[in-house]
Amino acid sequence: MKKLSTSPPKKPFNPAPIWFSLWIALLWLVVFDLDISFQTLLYGVEDMAEYFSRYTTPDFSELSRYLQLMAQTIATALWGTLIAFVTAFILAPFAARNLTPGRATYRIARETLNFLRAMPDLLLALIFVAALGLGPLPGALALGVHTAGFLGKFFAENLERIDKGVIEAVQATGASRSQVVMYAGWPSILREAIGYTLYIMDRNVRMASVLGLVGAGGIGLALHDTLRLFKYDESAALILVILSVILVFDYFSTWLRGKLT
Amino acid sequence: MNNSLPLCWPTRNGLPSIAVVIAFVIVGGLLTWAAPIAEIDPLRLVASIPRLLSFLGNILVMPDIEYLTELLRKMIETIEMTLIATSIALAISLPLGFLAAKNTSPHPVVFHVTRSLLSFMRALPELVWALVFVSAVGLGPLPGVMALSFVTVGFMGKFFAESIEVVDAKPIEGVEAHGAGWLQVRTYAYLPQAMPDFIGSTLYILDHNLRAAAILGLVGAGGIGYDMVMAMRLFDYDRILGIALAIYLIVTLLDRLSGHFRGRVI
Amino acid sequence: MASISLQGVTKKFGNGFQALHGVSVDFAPGSLTAIIGPSGAGKSTMLRMINGLELPTSGEVKVADRVVNRLNLREVRGDVGIIFQHYNLVSRLSVMTNVLTGRLKYRSWVGSMLYLFRKNDMDHAFQALDRVGLLDRAWDRADKLSGGQQQRVGIARALAQQPRVLLADEPVASLDPVTSEEIMQLLREICDRDGITVIVNLHQVDLAKRFASRVIGLNAGQIVFDGSPNELDQRTFDQIYHTKKEADDEQQPAPLLAHA
Repeated sequence: MKKLSTSPPKKPFNPAPIWFSLWIALLWLVVFDLDISFQTLLYGVEDMAEYFSRYTTPDFSELSRYLQLMAQTIATALWGTLIAFVTAFILAPFAARNLTPGRATYRIARETLNFLRAMPDLLLALIFVAALGLGPLPGALALGVHTAGFLGKFFAENLERIDKGVIEAVQATGASRSQVVMYAGWPSILREAIGYTLYIMDRNVRMASVLGLVGAGGIGLALHDTLRLFKYDESAALILVILSVILVFDYFSTWLRGKLT
Repeated sequence: MNNSLPLCWPTRNGLPSIAVVIAFVIVGGLLTWAAPIAEIDPLRLVASIPRLLSFLGNILVMPDIEYLTELLRKMIETIEMTLIATSIALAISLPLGFLAAKNTSPHPVVFHVTRSLLSFMRALPELVWALVFVSAVGLGPLPGVMALSFVTVGFMGKFFAESIEVVDAKPIEGVEAHGAGWLQVRTYAYLPQAMPDFIGSTLYILDHNLRAAAILGLVGAGGIGYDMVMAMRLFDYDRILGIALAIYLIVTLLDRLSGHFRGRVI
Repeated sequence: MASISLQGVTKKFGNGFQALHGVSVDFAPGSLTAIIGPSGAGKSTMLRMINGLELPTSGEVKVADRVVNRLNLREVRGDVGIIFQHYNLVSRLSVMTNVLTGRLKYRSWVGSMLYLFRKNDMDHAFQALDRVGLLDRAWDRADKLSGGQQQRVGIARALAQQPRVLLADEPVASLDPVTSEEIMQLLREICDRDGITVIVNLHQVDLAKRFASRVIGLNAGQIVFDGSPNELDQRTFDQIYHTKKEADDEQQPAPLLAHA
């Protein structure tokens, strides 16, 4: 019998089951390490049902105060979004490879945006409250600084996708760098930019409703207080107010984004 | 040379278009309404710069070395919470995703009910649910994991449903033609096609959950956030910088990793 | 007047590809020159250098007695209009705004950031649009127009610059024969009536023959032919399009290449 010149290709090895088992084993260890006891959770199903039944009689007697707090929450989110938009608008062209003046500015702008994105907004809010005092202003600032990172990265990535020829054509008229950004850059991505800004506004309304936990204004603190005092009826009312406003914003921004495209 | 000539916008009548004017009026009006309510005050901002600087000066001190082991433990706890919450959510949202996708849902009623359930679950931020669960099961990572999984299911289920809906129908007809059953069609025809999308959204959510887990401690639901808030309250300035850096590093690391994986999968 | 001269220009790209090997050539003011040659011969690179879109690796490019360098790019570009194969209009802006980008170099920074233009900028833009016969489409979105119309807007944008030189990089390669004819006619007329120096890269030798007063043949980054259109015969044609072995497909007639 003749020997094969080369050995036949091995049957492709499917690593999926091994990865899956490793994953499960890891989760098992994690559960032990965190000391989470899911048994108590299961035994406590009845207790849980009883617990959640306490929320079934919302008490709206202080509705006007809640609405006022919610208005503050929305106002904080709006200004946070504006701060984010303006910051991203200025930084994004520097963080887009095709519009940036140089490699150094590109890296600096990119890293700045990454840094902003990496700091959770509530931690920023803690810091700004320490520096500025209590109130919605540090909250708006924290939301703005954090989401500027998201918006800026999104804008920059979209600017980078613009047809090279279009940018060249405007450059070729003798336009300055900022004119190229303003005439070839932004108009080409305007819709996407507005759409994502609306999405960020949506997200900011959500986050603004918990900023109160660190003293940065809005409805969050009230919820925290009523829960700590076991006033479940009022908590339920607050949760309903937050929920409905968030859903309205969600619906509105989805509708507007749909209109844009 | 011709600076005296009138200025105009490049439109038919030289004025900005109605749509632009309306948009600016609405946005401007909203922001003007919001400014006093959100206590926007540039003067206060400027006035607080010295305080911000002195605060930054305070935290730029020699970090508390003895705290480092505890910091490491808390960071691991944060990561563990992220992993377990994301895994639980993954297991729950996979079937929910099929129920919430137009083309795989067994019945329009099921579709609408699942979709509404998902949008309810993701509507409120994790911290609100964390508050509720903390008051139900007490302090610790458990309420945090519960809150995180709960909200994540809302997002993940929706993402999964959306990627199932855009699956190409032809290979599915092929599998159906061979007499495969309802569940078989879904596992062998839809799942493989939607897989890259699934992995993409899971990575995105992992990223998001790590950030969320880092702040759940604010309400006592486990993770590094608790240490951060305590350090602030007790003026343990030598810990704040370490915590902030640790969060920045781990979030950035995961961000880069998941960006790398996403690039390979999609 | 705006004479253009290239002296010993070479261009080597980052990937090691050498597009031009020591090209020296002058363009007389107010002439229409066609550059022909196979794909990859360096036609586009040569043209783009006159506008500073590429800078030479060695040698120098002079436009109206200014050596093009990194520092005077904007100044040179102001004098040199360019139109492209794919028109390169900003598709979401109106035709008028696209033409007005040709006026940006005359505008103040603040004004241009706010999209504000002076009356005379508008007049120049209207005249340019009238010149290319698209005055009635001024307020349409640029991507609503057909290919030929978009190329006309491209020409109007270049004219609004009040340039002394007009470069055209494969202006008709994506257009049908009738429209191509019209665009070439328009370029010829701009050259004759305004005394603007026009340089056109072309794939179609017949168009070069009919509309240019001078034809330059490029092959592998070197000038292999330079003369009047009627000197172009089969022998010179072979000389220009002769590439070693592999480039048979590059000699196909233009319509096939149009969407390559």
